[in-house]
Amino acid sequence: MMVDHQNIYLILSALLFVIGAAGAITRRNAIIVFMCIEIMLGAVNLVFLTFSRANQSVEGTFMVLFIMAVAAAEAAVGLAIFILMYRKAGSIDVDRFNIMKW
Amino acid sequence: MELTLLILCGGLAVITSLMVILARNTVHSALWMVASFFFMAVLYLLLRMEFIAILQIIVYAGAIMMFIIYAIMMLNLRQETADTEPVRKSKVVGLGMLVVLFFVLLVLGVGRGIEALKGPVTDQMMEKFGHVAVLSNFLFSDYLLPFEVVSILLTAGIVGSVFLAKKGKA
Repeated sequence: MMVDHQNIYLILSALLFVIGAAGAITRRNAIIVFMCIEIMLGAVNLVFLTFSRANQSVEGTFMVLFIMAVAAAEAAVGLAIFILMYRKAGSIDVDRFNIMKW
Repeated sequence: MELTLLILCGGLAVITSLMVILARNTVHSALWMVASFFFMAVLYLLLRMEFIAILQIIVYAGAIMMFIIYAIMMLNLRQETADTEPVRKSKVVGLGMLVVLFFVLLVLGVGRGIEALKGPVTDQMMEKFGHVAVLSNFLFSDYLLPFEVVSILLTAGIVGSVFLAKKGKA
């Protein structure tokens, strides 16, 4: 059970996932780290949709729907946290936030 | 035709995602991100997932990016866009590990199909009823509980963000 050009979709999503992970570990601006996490979620969505299409099932599609809902909730709470961080420390540089470091 | 569109939009999605992490200005990153979401939506359309593609544009390119751009506007980030610090060894090691991860993903995933039961969403059904009708038929019967749980999660998200961003607390 394969879609047309299934391998291209899988290679693309692996590439996008690695790009997102690279941004998340190298950038220090919390908002850019957040956007990189969204890129990684998008890459995972692409894999889910590819296999959902390949098996003609609805499970993958619903995973993507719920991932989108969770991403929206995450955006709301995460950006509120960034605003709180900025208010407390005057910056959202993730390297400066080591309060929880053991 | 479809292959051309796939390679074009896939390549553009990769390039715009790279620009997100390479752009110095946070607002430029956010705008590249919008472009990246649109190209991802085209990829979803090529997989015949019309409803998900529309949701991608409405939810990601519309709502989430609006959140992010608002946050950038409210936080004055201009002075810290320059990365002056020298490149750290841990970052180099991390990037090397990511390259390894990429090849592991390729070896594990590419060229394989997942052996699963063939599901109910056949092409005939999609043509007859459309994607939205087929999905909603399952969403409001088999997947009703997850659907309700997601609505509770979204409510909790609203309450949590209002509570966190409230002035005069903490």
